[in-house]
Amino acid sequence: MVTIQDFDCSYENNWCPGCGNFGILSSMKEAFAALDLPPEKLLLISGIGQAAKTPHFLKCNLFHTLHGRALAIATGAKMANHELTIVVNSGDGDCYGEGGNHFMNAIRRNVNLTLLVHNNKVYGLTKGQASPTSDIGMVTKTQPHGVIAESFNPLAIALSLGAGFVARGFSGGGEQLTRLIQAGMKHQGFSLIDIAQPCVSFNKVNTHSWYKKRVYDLQQENHRTDDFQKALELSFLWGDRIPTGILYQKKTPSFTERLGIEKDGPIIRRKYDPLKLQKVLSAL
Amino acid sequence: MAIDITVKIAGEAGQGIQTVGDLLSLVCQKAGLYLMGINDFESRIRGGYSFFQLRISDRPVYAPCPEVDLLVALNQKSYDAYHRELTSEGLSLIDIQGEPLANQVAIPIDELAAKAGGKIAANTVAAGACLGLLGAPIQILEGILTDRFQNKPGNVLEMNLSAARLGFDHVRDIGFFKKFKWKMESSKGALIDGSRAIALGALAGDCRIASFYPMSPATGVMTHLVSLADEFPIVVEQAEDEIAAVNIIVGASFAGARAMTSTSGGGFCLMTEGLGLAAITETPIVIVNAQRPGPATGLPTRTAQGDLMFVINASQDEFPRFVLAPGTPAEAFEITIRAFHLSEKYQVPAIILADQTLNDSIYIAEKPLAAPQKVERFIVDDSRMESPSDYRRFAVTESGVSPRALPCNGKALVIATGNEHREDGHTSEVDSDRITMMNKRNAKWPAMLSEMLPPETDHGESDILLVGWGSSKGAIRESADLLRKQGVSVGAVHMTDLWPFPADTVKKILEKCNRFFVVEQNSTAQLGRLIREQTGLAHNGAILKYDGRPFFPSEIVDGLKRYLS
Repeated sequence: MVTIQDFDCSYENNWCPGCGNFGILSSMKEAFAALDLPPEKLLLISGIGQAAKTPHFLKCNLFHTLHGRALAIATGAKMANHELTIVVNSGDGDCYGEGGNHFMNAIRRNVNLTLLVHNNKVYGLTKGQASPTSDIGMVTKTQPHGVIAESFNPLAIALSLGAGFVARGFSGGGEQLTRLIQAGMKHQGFSLIDIAQPCVSFNKVNTHSWYKKRVYDLQQENHRTDDFQKALELSFLWGDRIPTGILYQKKTPSFTERLGIEKDGPIIRRKYDPLKLQKVLSAL
Repeated sequence: MAIDITVKIAGEAGQGIQTVGDLLSLVCQKAGLYLMGINDFESRIRGGYSFFQLRISDRPVYAPCPEVDLLVALNQKSYDAYHRELTSEGLSLIDIQGEPLANQVAIPIDELAAKAGGKIAANTVAAGACLGLLGAPIQILEGILTDRFQNKPGNVLEMNLSAARLGFDHVRDIGFFKKFKWKMESSKGALIDGSRAIALGALAGDCRIASFYPMSPATGVMTHLVSLADEFPIVVEQAEDEIAAVNIIVGASFAGARAMTSTSGGGFCLMTEGLGLAAITETPIVIVNAQRPGPATGLPTRTAQGDLMFVINASQDEFPRFVLAPGTPAEAFEITIRAFHLSEKYQVPAIILADQTLNDSIYIAEKPLAAPQKVERFIVDDSRMESPSDYRRFAVTESGVSPRALPCNGKALVIATGNEHREDGHTSEVDSDRITMMNKRNAKWPAMLSEMLPPETDHGESDILLVGWGSSKGAIRESADLLRKQGVSVGAVHMTDLWPFPADTVKKILEKCNRFFVVEQNSTAQLGRLIREQTGLAHNGAILKYDGRPFFPSEIVDGLKRYLS
């Protein structure tokens, strides 16, 4: 039995006190323990940002990479060894700004991994600039007259690109977030969990209490997760009421299934065959 | 008398120049001749000016010749553009009505093709006519056509055999000064272009994952790999951009697969970030940069050697890497195998610096291409550790190389980051950790340097040495041959292993000569600058060409003579 304590790690956590990341980290450990996945069976891949530091703060295999590139790296790792259980920690700037193209294409490929986007609607690590998901009008030091660009809608984009698991979590959601992470990891294919999260240092609008008043759980309201049109409609709902939970789920063949490489075992375990190659070389 | 014939097949893009060229090349290979064929084309799908220039010889050839003996003009425009390149007795095959000029052989290509069964066989008519003029036995071409078309439905084979014969017969009685006796010896080696050689080298280097974004002239490497991906344990993925391509292979390598990407300079620009990630996380990767002129889009389909300084220095800050530059397909095959081996052994990126001429030209590879019997891996698992739970991915060692475990392959946890880090892989901003890791990575340099092969010298004892790298190898060597025949004491030095720079061996070679000149396809003599930086020896002159076209030996001869006079 894997326990939450198995993921305890002595590496010093350097997030701000009260950061929404702590809730996400707790739910991750709880989900991994509930799925009976020990640290050595887990590969966490992250980009750059406060969210991307997450893998350092629990025991696991980890690759903390470049800004925006985590999904491309995860795609490669999955091609080499499709048996890897990969969770990607990213943020709104990392995933939807710098890594936007990789985000879209990881969905299109349906890479079998779970993407947790810690979406606090602001840049934390670089100290408070607007992010792709900042609401229009949000004032920051670098957007003194307010954000003028439309907010990036990850859920609607994921749905439109054919994502088979689209969910929104809330960093203060506790058990609900744990359940979502478990469900995402069980889903065979790309799973997106965009996690609404306050930033105690730089986002004075979308605070913990601001969210608390607005979020509700779709799974408490008998939402049908196979209704694409309804999911698309819900993905645009942002204001007095903010839906959380699984918006949409549908199983389609994953990237490595589509590549047809799963049947003979992971690519890294196949054998090099000099005789076969020599035949090709000698025929030239 | 030595055979040395240049055939130029010219027309618009889309007219089938490649098909005619392929057939002629195959016939020459099967007859035991040597050849080198360059492809010259514009960045367009239809129209314009394109040509394939095939040099045929009974001795090894690795450079094109500017004088054309036989011009196959697939349209009037191509005759007008290239007839001045014909030698005084040279001929042009051309489909024209009316009275041909003195150097023209009129042939109704389309009409003969229609007679054979369809206009689609026009290229076969042209190939048959070329071989007729050269006095080749038609049986070789017939054999090739049979191999190629015997399993096609309908009358495809009969049509092509008939087309070849009609073209052949149409010109067989025409006297052509370059007609020679075909000896029909056995093939002298594989008929191969640089792209295919790199792709096969990758398989022989046990590459398992390849990712790329299409870019001339590097796409051919991946096209060849894809064609073999159903038979070998390799997956090739076209990425959304070059940034994804390089990061996909970093991820694949981190997970345990040997992995590569191929691109040209512009794509390499985008890959420099991922190159740095591979470097700081000590993840082996192989990147092919098939050079073309730049900057930015430059000349997309043409050749250059302008990225040497770039790839040696690419990405911010400093880290060890290999840079290897093949000059022929045989070298490209061997270098690609070595790149995978060295990259994994030292856990550093390896860059193969190719160029358009090498990638897109076909040659006879004299050296047999041999698949290594075994592939040595440099990976550890729990069984090789005293205490897997204490595994540290970046443990300091004397060699700088830490035992490399794979994620999710045992109890040992693999922790890696693009941030500076501690021995256990966790991010660190402690100054001593930074120094420790920089020193650890830099500690690899001496052993890496010891892996570098010395430059290949030809007549190294000469007064004058011509020094070069990349696909101009053949032209440089031939120009030295020509100059020696004219009484000038000239040798050639060809460098493949460029970084870490083998300064001592290069210095020893160059100190022996009176003067040395660099021959390069860039405008600032980058190898010359590197030699001066690394050895203190300054080149006495530079023969440079940067118009995007490959060197002809005669250009190098002329270039050196300008210095000597």
